[in-house]
Amino acid sequence: MNPRGAVAIVGAGSPGLFRASPDTPINLAEQAVSRALDDAGLKRSQIDGLIIQIGSPRGTDYDLAASMLGLNVRFAAQPWAHGRFGATVLTHAAMALSWGLADYILCFAAYNNSSFGRHGSKERPSYGESLREGGGPHAETPHAGLTAPVAGAGMAAQRYFHKYGINPGKLAAVPLAFRRHAMLNPEAVMRKPLTREDYFASRYIVEPLRLFDCSVPVDGSVAFILTTAERARDCKKPPIQLLGVQGIHAGPNEFIFGQPGLGVNQSDVFDYKPAGADDLVFRMAGVKPADIDLFTTYDAFSPIVLWALERYGYCKPGEAADWIQNGRIELGGELPVNTNGGFLSAGHFNSWGEILEIVRQLRGEAGERQVRNAELAQWGTVVGDSIIFGRDRTGAKELS
Amino acid sequence: MTLPIIDRVFPIDPEDLLPAITPDNQQFWDALGRGEAIAQNCDGCKRTRYPIVPVCPYCGGTAWNWKTLSGKGTVFSWVRYVRSYLPEFEDLMPYVVLSVQLEEGARMFGRLLDKLDRDAPISIGAPVEMVIERWPDGRHVPAFRFATKGK
Ligand SMILES: [Zn+2]
Repeated sequence: MNPRGAVAIVGAGSPGLFRASPDTPINLAEQAVSRALDDAGLKRSQIDGLIIQIGSPRGTDYDLAASMLGLNVRFAAQPWAHGRFGATVLTHAAMALSWGLADYILCFAAYNNSSFGRHGSKERPSYGESLREGGGPHAETPHAGLTAPVAGAGMAAQRYFHKYGINPGKLAAVPLAFRRHAMLNPEAVMRKPLTREDYFASRYIVEPLRLFDCSVPVDGSVAFILTTAERARDCKKPPIQLLGVQGIHAGPNEFIFGQPGLGVNQSDVFDYKPAGADDLVFRMAGVKPADIDLFTTYDAFSPIVLWALERYGYCKPGEAADWIQNGRIELGGELPVNTNGGFLSAGHFNSWGEILEIVRQLRGEAGERQVRNAELAQWGTVVGDSIIFGRDRTGAKELS
Repeated sequence: MTLPIIDRVFPIDPEDLLPAITPDNQQFWDALGRGEAIAQNCDGCKRTRYPIVPVCPYCGGTAWNWKTLSGKGTVFSWVRYVRSYLPEFEDLMPYVVLSVQLEEGARMFGRLLDKLDRDAPISIGAPVEMVIERWPDGRHVPAFRFATKGK
């Protein structure tokens, strides 16, 4: 079978994202799940698959989620509790649906960050990963004082600035653009205007990255329901199809917060040549980067937005810092990026907020920040996982 | 080649900062205690690798030998901490962590022991040399300092 458009998102729901929510992960999960069911026009009893991102202690694990939320499923999964797996959850759901392992798969992230210590501190539940054989998941090396994901992104950024002779101040265009988007998103947690002066006056968190280069941790939940294209047409809203997908790349030359070839950890040093339209995600979808109406990406730190744009061929390696200037990635620009405000301003919710934004944009539900005639949207990260979404054009319900 | 060993004085007892000693990496950590840094050199592709792993990630070869590192390298990248995440490093603020390109090929992270001003520039490519810190619990840890002139 051709996977293009075989599976669609038919329901999406979220109570929003919060700097600090008093609600437990199960409670947050339920708030998103009931909204997603309502959005799809489906009954709880129709859900027969479940994939969760971020388990306990920050979130909820699949077994209790299924039993406590009254979900009787015949396919369940839960990846490593890292933000990077958001889109991979949806890809796994698409594969499971294609193989008939379930008819309607509920995917959600529901977690609480505010009750835990800072990333990189020993109070963080994941601190022990820093002591893994071979190093932490973001290059953490505590005996060297190297801790917190921001430092891994900083190491990569410093090298990138050097390699391509880039003025680090050009990074400001990323958080400034996303804040302007967040100001149009009632659900974003950071909605006060942000000026260039504010950006340059902000302190370093870990040099070279400043406060406004770092995402805002939040509590919250987002749920999606996926089903096959045929079943999708019986749901309430226009189905948002998965037209092309590709997975997270890993290996000696990949780093979670760095372009291949940049040399973080033991990566070889080379000039990265993006495949662009030859990437699987584009080939499967049958489209080119120039066809994409909006792009969303993992913006835990501003420089990784540059590398994602380069990875998918929107610009050449080393050129993204110039390419993003003058409103190019803002609403009304050539390629609006993270129109919800992204992790940097809407809140760091591991891609779920950004894919929810894609669903809203393609349905025409994005309100003041609606991208006109948005038909194709791409999620894509610096480590290669990507999904191209499109509105179902065959027999789709008319949009108001 | 013997590398300088210096005592690291902590503001509090260090805890949960070092990876476990395993059958694979024990010789690496033991060598540091003798003032030596060693890494694996692949018999197949001749590449020097780090961290310690029983197979060569570059050619798949499983035959290798220990190689003594000169401790010489250059700054490949760096970050500067201006706020503390770990109480053991609180008294060192601001401190710099380097990614060092070792002359044998592999890269290693290590703290820069030179005390610098908060806004002192650091040049990528600057020569550095390895120094071994002796920790109060008897473990030894690689760190770096700018290379002494004339060497
Ligand atoms: Zn080899």
